[in-house]
Order: sequence, then C-alpha cells, then structure tokens
Amino acid sequence: MIRFTWLQFRVQAGVALAALFAFAAVLMVTGPHLASLYNASRITGCRGGSCVNAASGFLSRVDATSPYTLMYTLGIGLILAAPVITGIFWGAPLIARELETGTCRLAWTQGITRTRWLVVKLALTGLAAMAVTEALSLMYTWWADPIARAIGHGGTISSIQFTGPFGLVAFATHGIAPLGYAAFAFTLGTATGALIRRTVPAMAVTLAIFAAVQVAVPLWVRPHLLPPDQTVVSGPSFFQAASMSVGTLTATTVPGQPEAWILSSGPINAAGQPVTTAPAACLGPPPATGKGAPANLGACMASRGIREAITYQPLSRYWPFQRIETGIFLALALALAGCCFWRLGRRRT
Amino acid sequence: MSFVIEASGLGKQYGRRWALRDCALAIPAGRVVGLVGPNGAGKTTLLHLAVGLLAPTSGSIRVLGASPADGPAQLGRVGFVAQDTPVYTRLSVARHLRMGAWLNPGWDREIAESRIEQLGLDPRQRAGTLSGGQRAQLALTLAIAKRPECLILDEPVASLDPLARRDFLSSLMEIVAAQGLSVVLTSHLVADLERVCDYLVVLVASKVQVAGEVSELLSSHHRLSGARRDASSLPANQEVIEESHTDRQSTFLVRTSDPVHDPAWTVRPVTLDDLVIAYMSRPANPERTHRPQLKVTS
Repeated sequence: MIRFTWLQFRVQAGVALAALFAFAAVLMVTGPHLASLYNASRITGCRGGSCVNAASGFLSRVDATSPYTLMYTLGIGLILAAPVITGIFWGAPLIARELETGTCRLAWTQGITRTRWLVVKLALTGLAAMAVTEALSLMYTWWADPIARAIGHGGTISSIQFTGPFGLVAFATHGIAPLGYAAFAFTLGTATGALIRRTVPAMAVTLAIFAAVQVAVPLWVRPHLLPPDQTVVSGPSFFQAASMSVGTLTATTVPGQPEAWILSSGPINAAGQPVTTAPAACLGPPPATGKGAPANLGACMASRGIREAITYQPLSRYWPFQRIETGIFLALALALAGCCFWRLGRRRT
Repeated sequence: MSFVIEASGLGKQYGRRWALRDCALAIPAGRVVGLVGPNGAGKTTLLHLAVGLLAPTSGSIRVLGASPADGPAQLGRVGFVAQDTPVYTRLSVARHLRMGAWLNPGWDREIAESRIEQLGLDPRQRAGTLSGGQRAQLALTLAIAKRPECLILDEPVASLDPLARRDFLSSLMEIVAAQGLSVVLTSHLVADLERVCDYLVVLVASKVQVAGEVSELLSSHHRLSGARRDASSLPANQEVIEESHTDRQSTFLVRTSDPVHDPAWTVRPVTLDDLVIAYMSRPANPERTHRPQLKVTS
C-alpha cells in the first residue's frame, strides 16, 4: 500500500520537492551574502545605544542594495500559505476524488482492508505535508537569522513590520507551529472531501475553514492558552521612553521584559481606575516640531499618580505557547482523521 | 451444496430509503450465475454487500462461507468488477498491474501480463485513454489476476458496444473454463446472460422471484395457448407465472415439472427472455395456488 500510495502521490510530491529545492537554492545562494553583510556591520560586539544604530544601519543597507527585505516578506507568505495549499491540493482530493470517480470501488476490493488503505494514505501524505511546511520554515529561519538578530537589537526599517516572536505572522511561521497547521490543514481537506464527496467544493470549504481558524485562533484562543502576567509601571521614565504610543496611551514594550507579548495595557490613576485620555493640562500646546509628545508629558502624568497597567506574556513562554498551540492543532488533525475513518466506515458509504 | 452468496433477512438502508430489504437468497458455487432484475431491484446494493463495499443495515450475508471483506484474506478470495469498470485514468495499464501485484498477496503476474498481451493493450497507455471495452478488460484482468475463488461483476457490459460486449463475455468464458471459479454477474441484457450463464436469479424489489439452472428453467416453463379459460382451472401442478386473455383466447406461461398433455393447449417452449420478463412483471407477492377470481360488478 505504501508503494501504491507513492504511485498515486508522486506527481504532487515531485511538484512539492521541486518547489522546496528552488526555495532552498535561492536561500543557499543569498544566505551567505546576507550573513556577510551582517558581519560587516558593526552589530557584532556593539554596546548599548550603538547597537540600535548599527542594526538600523544594517537593515537600511540591506534594503537599499538587495532584494532581501522583499524576500523576507515573501518567505513568510510562502510559509503561511504552504499548509493551506497542501490541504487543498493534497488533502481535499485524497478521498473525494476516489469517491467522485468511483475508483474507491476498485481500491477497496483489492486484497487490503479499507482501514489499512486509509491509514497509509493519511499517514504518508499527511507527514509529507507536514515535512514540506516545516522544511520551508526551518530553511527560512536559518536564512533570515541576520535580519531577525538586527531587529532583536532594536533595528527598525519601514519595509518590515516586525512585532516580536509573538507577532501574529512571526509566531505562525517559526518554531513548530507550522507542523501543527500543516497537519490540521491536510486532515481538514481530507475530512471535508470525505464528507462532501466532491473535490472542488471540498477545496473551497477547506480554504474557508482554514482561513477562519487562522484568524480566530490568534485573536481569541492563543491569548488564553496560559494565564498572563500583569505589571504596573510608574514614573516619568516609562511615559517618556519610546515604550508607549502617545495617541492611545498603550504600552509598546514591557520594561525588563524584552519582546514580551502585550495583551492589553492602559494608564490607570492613583485609585487604580482606568484613564482614557491624558489630562488636558499635561498635553499642553502641541509641540512645535509636530512630532512626539510634549517633553513634559511623562513627568506631568507621573506627578498626577498616573501609572501604566500592562497585561502580557513574557518571552520565556514562547516555547510553551508553541508547544500548546501545535498540540492543539495536532489533536484537531487526529480528530479530523478519525472523522475520515468514521465517514468511510462500511455502514456509511 | 456450497454457496457463493448466502443471504437472509438482508437489508441496506440509505437514510429512510431501503435499497434492499429483507432479501433472502442462496447462490450455488461453481456456476456462472446471472442476476437480473429491473432498475432499483437492489442488484448493485446486493453485490456491494457481497464484496464488502457496504455493510448490511440488517440481516446477514456470507460469501464463500465467510463474512464479506472480513480482513485481507477474504478480500483476496473475491474478485470484483464494479459498474462502469472504474480505473485510475492517469495511471498506465502497466501501473494498474503493479498496483494489483502490490495490493494482492495472491497476485498472478503471468495471468495478468499474458492477458494484457493477448488483448493487444499497450502497457504504457494511460487507462484514461482506453476504449470502454479495453477498460472493462483491464478491470477484469485486475479482478482475476488476484486468483479469486469467485468473481462478481456488476453490469460489466452495460456500456459496451456489441462487439466489445461479445469480446468481454468470451474472455469471461475462457477464464471460467481455465480457472473454474464461481461467477456472479448482473446484466439487463438477457441475451448476454443466456450466452454465458448456466444459472439464473431474477430479483425484483429485493425478492428472488425465481432461481435455478437455465436449462432446467427452460424445460420446466411452457407457454400454453388455447380457448379462453380461467387460471384457476389449471391443474395444481402448473404454476401460472403470466397470463393474458383476449375475448376468445388465453395464453399462460406456466411452470411445471410434468409434461403438459391437455390437448386443448398449444404448448410452446419459452425463451429465457420471455421467462425473465414474465417473472419481472409478476406481482411481488403472488398467491401461489388459489388466486381470487376477478368478479365483474355492474
């Protein structure tokens, strides 16, 4: 059955391998150059504030002289798309096409049981889907390491939106999460194919459900996977530093917790009540430069006893979050695989 | 006597609809059995139950004395050619044979390859580009090269042109002669069945209307015509299968094991076609002996 599964799967596998090799080739050719640019910058061995300048200098040099920042964005897009592509083109037809063309009547009357047929098909194709996505993610993580380190040193550049390892896109494309998404998307495609019994509608439904889940999980599920930490920050230094956005008075970093995931934040007054706007007295006349907050905003707010309350997940929980989320998606994948077995039971076909 | 298919109280329900209900039959082994019946009689459902593509909703079915699709060994004992002879359109003929070899422990490579050669099929040709007749032959090859004890075919020739149909059926006859396996096939075309089958089962609305050896069926059924008379006036040993009357004349199709001596009748033999149509159009639950007389009320 393994050989027969391969016989039916070899064209798709060939396409995927070709895509992987092309991706790998591009990264292998450009990766060392990107790393040499990084080494040539003064980030290595930098101290304090000079790091931010060196990192930003490196990023803008990369942006100006190479297509690497574009590749950085496209690579992320590819890793995000890989699970749903395999779910649609490998998962959805896996059972639906057999039912649609009637070849299931040929396959299931050979000398192997239907259960074995399904186990091998799901396992082989599913593991291939997981391997492809994770390979993309690992290659990309290796290639993008200089850019990620520069960003980690505080470097910023307008063409890359990077919101830390917990950022929506970064979290979904790094670590082991892509494995879970790939397994889920593949079994989702297979199960919808088995339920709808037609390939094209199953593809559309797979795409819709997967997209909905990919939106719903980071927004409504992921923040609750572990109880968050809370901290209250006071003092003019916090309000003055670049650690909050003035318009909304929300924190952008947590002091002492670099790259933490901020779930919610806002100023509270001395009584602990939320403050929605800065006191008018503190805002004063708009600064002449037109940029940033009035110089005295922080001191003014601090003197009125206003502090910033922040609910966040520290960076140290990155891997627990990755493991829990991957575990959830793998469990969903198993449940969907079980749904395929149930649907193909001889009482229901 | 051993049986290829034995069923009792067999039923298969889809939602609220029963595709087959309370079906009882016993098809003997070592024969080429034709299963005929109108559309919707449950023939395909019965065959799918026999090869284990379906599980019964009620009752039981045994194939070669065992439960269908009950593990790889039982799957290997039964060869199946499904309706419209499905094959993988993108795989070549040779790859289909390789699939058969991989998936069937009892695969006989020699049978498969010599048959493909004999049929003049190009092993590299994709199955999707084969003609209907060639595809049916490929499906048949796959079903017999696994060396089954019985071969079940669901309308194998329904979509074939007359020439391809003849070729397919003569292939089937050759296989039966060479391998001596039991065969059960369904068809709408009684002429085809007459050519290959030595046993006939007529299934109407899940019920076996008649079953028996073809030669015996033909010799025990007669068409009687003569002056008009009522069916109840026939002797008890003549079972009326079909009757038609004009003002002056009556025609009966009767089943009897005894010769008909009544000089009032013109006795003619029946064809298999007559017989099948008579049983198919017979009410599902006929009164066997004393049918109520039709009375004209005015």
